[in-house]
Amino acid sequence: MRLIKIPMTYWIVVSSIILVTVISSYFVSNKKVDFNAEIKPLLNKKCITCHGGVKRQSGFSLLFRSDALSKNKSGKVAIIPFDAGNSEMIKRLYLKDPEERMPYKHPPLNNEEIALLTKWINQGAEWGDHWAYVPVKETPIPNVKKGLFGILGKPEWIKTNVDAFIYEKLQEENLIPSAIADKSTILRRVSLDLIGMPAPDAIAKKYLTNTNENSFEQLVDALLALPQYGEKWTSMWMDMARYSDSKGFERDEDRNIWRYRDWLIDAFNTDKPYNLFLTEQLAGDLLPNPTDAQYIATAFHRNTLTNDEGGTDNEEFRTAAVMDRVNTTWVSIMGTSFACVQCHSHPYDPFRHDEYYKFLALFNNTRDEDTWAEYPLLKEFHSTDSVKLIALQKWLNKNAPNREKEIIQFIKTGQPAINSLVTDEIKNGALADTKWLQFRNNGSARIKSIDLTGLTQLYYRFISWKSGGQFQIHLDSANGELVKNIPIENSKGSWKIANITIPQTLGRHSFYLTYRNAQLKSPDESGVQFDWFHFTNPFPGKGMPGYEIAFQNFDSLLYSNKITTTPIMLENPSYLHRTTNVFERGNWLVKGKEVVGDVPASLGGLPAGAPRNRLGLAIWLTDKKNPLTSRTIVNKIWEQLFGQGIAETLEDLGTQGIAPTHESLLNYLSYQLMNQHQWSLKKIIKEMVMSATYQQDSKFNEDAVAKDPFNKYYARGPRIRLSSEQIRDQALFVSGLLSARMYGPSVMPYQPEGVWRSPYNGATWNLSKEGNQYRRALYTYLKRSAPYPSMISFDGTSREVCIVRRIRTNTPLQALNLLNDSVYIEAAQHFAQRIKLIVPQNASKQISKGYELAFNKSISPEKQKVFEKLYNNAFAKYSQDSLKIQQITGDKNAGPSGAALVLVATALLNTDEFLTKN
Amino acid sequence: MSKENKKIIKEATIATTEQITRSYFFKECFSGMGAMALGSMLQGCDWLGNKDSFNNFTNTNPLMARAPHFIGKAKSVIYLHMAGAPSQLELFDFKPDLLKLDGQDCPQSLLEGKKFAFIRGVPKMLGPQAVFKQRGQSGAWISDNLPHLATVADEISFLKAVQTDQFNHGPAQLLMHTGSPRLGRPSIGSWVTYGLGSENSNLPGFVVLTSGGNNPDAGKSVWGNGFLPSVYQGVQCRNEGDPVLFLKDPAGIDRDMRKASIDAINEANQLTYNEFKDPEIVARMAQYEMAFKMQISVPDVMNINDEPAYIHEMYGTQPGKASFANNVLLARKLVEKGVRFVQLFDWGWDSHGTDLSNAVDIGLINKCRSVDKPITALLLDLKQRGLLDETLVVWGGEFGRTPMQENRDGKTLPFKGRDHHTEAFTTWMAGGGIKQGTSFGETDEIGYSAISGKVTAYDMQATILNQLGFDHEKLTYNSQGRPFRLTDVQGRVITEIIA
Repeated sequence: MRLIKIPMTYWIVVSSIILVTVISSYFVSNKKVDFNAEIKPLLNKKCITCHGGVKRQSGFSLLFRSDALSKNKSGKVAIIPFDAGNSEMIKRLYLKDPEERMPYKHPPLNNEEIALLTKWINQGAEWGDHWAYVPVKETPIPNVKKGLFGILGKPEWIKTNVDAFIYEKLQEENLIPSAIADKSTILRRVSLDLIGMPAPDAIAKKYLTNTNENSFEQLVDALLALPQYGEKWTSMWMDMARYSDSKGFERDEDRNIWRYRDWLIDAFNTDKPYNLFLTEQLAGDLLPNPTDAQYIATAFHRNTLTNDEGGTDNEEFRTAAVMDRVNTTWVSIMGTSFACVQCHSHPYDPFRHDEYYKFLALFNNTRDEDTWAEYPLLKEFHSTDSVKLIALQKWLNKNAPNREKEIIQFIKTGQPAINSLVTDEIKNGALADTKWLQFRNNGSARIKSIDLTGLTQLYYRFISWKSGGQFQIHLDSANGELVKNIPIENSKGSWKIANITIPQTLGRHSFYLTYRNAQLKSPDESGVQFDWFHFTNPFPGKGMPGYEIAFQNFDSLLYSNKITTTPIMLENPSYLHRTTNVFERGNWLVKGKEVVGDVPASLGGLPAGAPRNRLGLAIWLTDKKNPLTSRTIVNKIWEQLFGQGIAETLEDLGTQGIAPTHESLLNYLSYQLMNQHQWSLKKIIKEMVMSATYQQDSKFNEDAVAKDPFNKYYARGPRIRLSSEQIRDQALFVSGLLSARMYGPSVMPYQPEGVWRSPYNGATWNLSKEGNQYRRALYTYLKRSAPYPSMISFDGTSREVCIVRRIRTNTPLQALNLLNDSVYIEAAQHFAQRIKLIVPQNASKQISKGYELAFNKSISPEKQKVFEKLYNNAFAKYSQDSLKIQQITGDKNAGPSGAALVLVATALLNTDEFLTKN
Repeated sequence: MSKENKKIIKEATIATTEQITRSYFFKECFSGMGAMALGSMLQGCDWLGNKDSFNNFTNTNPLMARAPHFIGKAKSVIYLHMAGAPSQLELFDFKPDLLKLDGQDCPQSLLEGKKFAFIRGVPKMLGPQAVFKQRGQSGAWISDNLPHLATVADEISFLKAVQTDQFNHGPAQLLMHTGSPRLGRPSIGSWVTYGLGSENSNLPGFVVLTSGGNNPDAGKSVWGNGFLPSVYQGVQCRNEGDPVLFLKDPAGIDRDMRKASIDAINEANQLTYNEFKDPEIVARMAQYEMAFKMQISVPDVMNINDEPAYIHEMYGTQPGKASFANNVLLARKLVEKGVRFVQLFDWGWDSHGTDLSNAVDIGLINKCRSVDKPITALLLDLKQRGLLDETLVVWGGEFGRTPMQENRDGKTLPFKGRDHHTEAFTTWMAGGGIKQGTSFGETDEIGYSAISGKVTAYDMQATILNQLGFDHEKLTYNSQGRPFRLTDVQGRVITEIIA
């Protein structure tokens, strides 16, 4: 051991420490050392790679105070509070022997750094909490004044509290804020931000002609009240939720989950308080008497991938989905990367390895099992069926209230059912395509250890191809006591649900299913395939008034296929409870110790009385004491409006993330959201856009650009390229093509041939009709393995995993997309027609009208000239070519003037000004 | 640091600095419309030797050519992926002992504690379904399924003991190309483009070509950018329709009109720039100029009609037809033009034996026929052009195939086939500073397990990056609060095959 050498040089070391300690105490003031600002960055940079959550060289880790203060492998203590001289860590910083001196094999710390660490230890080596892990407190608003000693009072520029925080920093940086932008610029900016597209004409006109002092506020209120508001913010949340219309892997089949997207739109439009918004998505099914909408909200975490590839281990991909739920919850809702804790303790932040699995345990008891059908599904019934459902529920409530909940849940969700893919010990059979239990003659399989005490009714879903089949249920072995022999009809290749009465069994047993069919001649021929089994009691209330009708209703609802289905979360009943273990180094096959559900200790435990499940998690997450939830959403909303978060790394507010530029503003807004605004997102958004900061002119001032090229201090307004969604919606809106239709299954606007090529999947892209091809971007069908091209060109994500921050790029493929994609050619044609309807003649007026329609302001003479030149050029060219006129306008009577106007329209739709929020 | 390394790094630094200076020159000389497509503003990056990761990304010119960590032997990579996983036991890993066991029950020892995608119960052993011979000076075993490739055996380094832990296509392909079996990580081509930028500003830096009628099982994610900026994603060049999506001007707009409209767009943008002084506007103007150029340069490079007859004969190409052969010829043309990473996926190598087309005898032979000649031609053609030294060619699948005959669902299948196998399979590399005529790694006498020279996808990735001049541990990007790299926490450069 290297440490043995030390005593030889001990006295030199000790004396030099004393010396330096004494000297340094003269240089370093007696001010208390700030762990977060001074010590933690130093440790992260110089020490934590070897002494953190991943590597703990010599058993020494600086992540938690308790670890750092305990004995190392050598038996020494690295940090002794109030005694730097005897702290091994400080001694090691001074040594000369490269084998002994720390940081090992790296440049030594300089004297100031050592003095700082020394002082910190002598002051007690206190660990500070990272800003983002401290509960949000009320933050005082800076009392900023201008002029020398503030004699000129509060600056006129300041409109709201937000501005005070911004102004304070601007003053520190010697920057001067910009004036408020002109009305049409602000109108376009706030419309694109709040509703994702330009304001409807009536609202725009009203604002532009409104001279009232409150005209901007009235505009903001009007925009917040539009249904398009919900659509815009749903687009944002769809990235957080990794929403997609397909399952993900290989054949990447269709997934029906659009009802969740519609739930989001309604949630935003009704301004569902954010705490409730999260609770319903995480644990809607665990709320008392959940509504269909609350079930649908839980589809948030059913946006995980399902792997349908043949030969996959369903438990592996169920586990992968659960881990993704954990990671997404942390990244999207708590701005913290938790995924690295899968394999080891967090390298920088205070999360221990087993805490990942405790957190995972909260998610690990849902019914989904990577089944092909994506069970559990919520069934929503339509027309007469929904009437039947109400009647059934009423009848049960009156005649069999103790069975009401269970029966309605079975009708609505088909649960709790045992999926056939969990059967094992399969003989003369197989999990066909590793999805469904399939039997050949003399086949058998096991349902492992369940308790069916008292249950005498079996419902099962199956498909068969042969007559004469029978299946048997045995107790505890394939030759065990016969419970029931069940003849299976030939369903002729279509799925059916059957039910049968079975004798009562007592206690916990394994149930063996066997199958015989003498008509199966070849040993390789299979006769039946099962999907699921549901054990229950007979329908209640026989003999009661209305029994017949109630039972008929039950029966017809069970078989009804006039339904809309949505994958949802549902908790396992106790007899299907899963235990959770730590996975050693993140490997799901190597199970370590068993854990129970919990949240990380460093962020406060579960509130008293909170259940150890997803509901408890939601309660903890939306508790005002949770330091991350409000900061994360406020930061995200700020990013939507200003193009960057107050803390730039939206996905990581931890110690390795980029520190917030305006920490106190972030805290202030987070406090406002939870307290003043009672979690209302509309109100917090309004508070942000009402600021002078937001409404500033976005022109680059040379002095400010030199000092602050990335506008981190907000001396100018945000000038940001639009998102892929905004670009599409705006082009359709300006051209007059945009469909106002909301909700419903995803649609397929124009897409070039040959983009979809998934193996084993014959699905095709079928151009939507009747205006559905002109719906807003959020309704465009998103297939993960082959996402909509223009969505991806403009930095959308393929939604395989949660990506909370899109990185904006600027590429030639974007130019090609807007210049040549039929979507934008068609938009240009319609834009030209729209202009012509308003201004039938006079190219010059048409051009200025076009610009006005696009920007709600008048064109500058210089720009007018540019487009007139293009117009004239095109007019001359097309005058000689009637075929080209027809091709570019789609109208053989359009004439060269029509063609020239389409060219101008295309150019307008491609200008930087149009693609950017100015 | 050795003297030699210091010299290399110095040269690379100079190269990077020159790039930056040159671009600055363009920027400073920017004088209104159409002056240049190259001119873009950028910030210099402290990139070399910086171990503390940071994101080497400037939005204004993210594809600027950059020097790697050291001077690599290879300038570009052509990666030929046989999607579905070709059988090493019928191509390169000759196991005469397996023939003796043909038709016998597989011993329990090979099955206990193992998981297979489709094999259930006790399968039968299946002897090699091809005739093997030793080839060239190196004596590499190559079966008669690949008669052309056999003639260039001495150019190739075989990796005989590649291992993976993924036995399903999608995850295994992702692991091969992104270093993770789950979706969401950047692909190797994206990493390379992020690290090197592009040498040809009129062509994408990372091009993907697919054949066989389907995209690979893992979808476009195998050439996706993951958390890297989307500018680094592979650009799929297609055999039908536009070679690159939206490349063609719409009907009714000819080149002159397109030029006139881009001029107008950029003149308007210049006016906006005068007003706002936002450098993003200048970058966008450059992108429109580049788009205009790509409309010529991409169809030009994608057109193989003008290749001489002997080249068509050599590759077995037929212009106008979608085929792997055409893609291979295109790959050569693309690297000639400075494209850094060309990724080919050929679908249909999944030899389960459930039908004739995927039987490990007939079906596999047919697949081999479609790739044997073009791959051989590629090596010879690159060599005759003096490009093989600086072009790394990689061939492989996502896993191997079992020495046992597949008995899907415990049944006998109508044709001979093999199941997915993770424990040993063969890939190879050639050119780009790789040893000629060598073989690394061995499997046991039936080809079930690797016994020496084991390598993983991470090792292959580390080696590919090494040949391009990257230390795979230093090519990182910060995401979700930590630096990520292609090889995760693994990877070893396979020095045994490096010349």
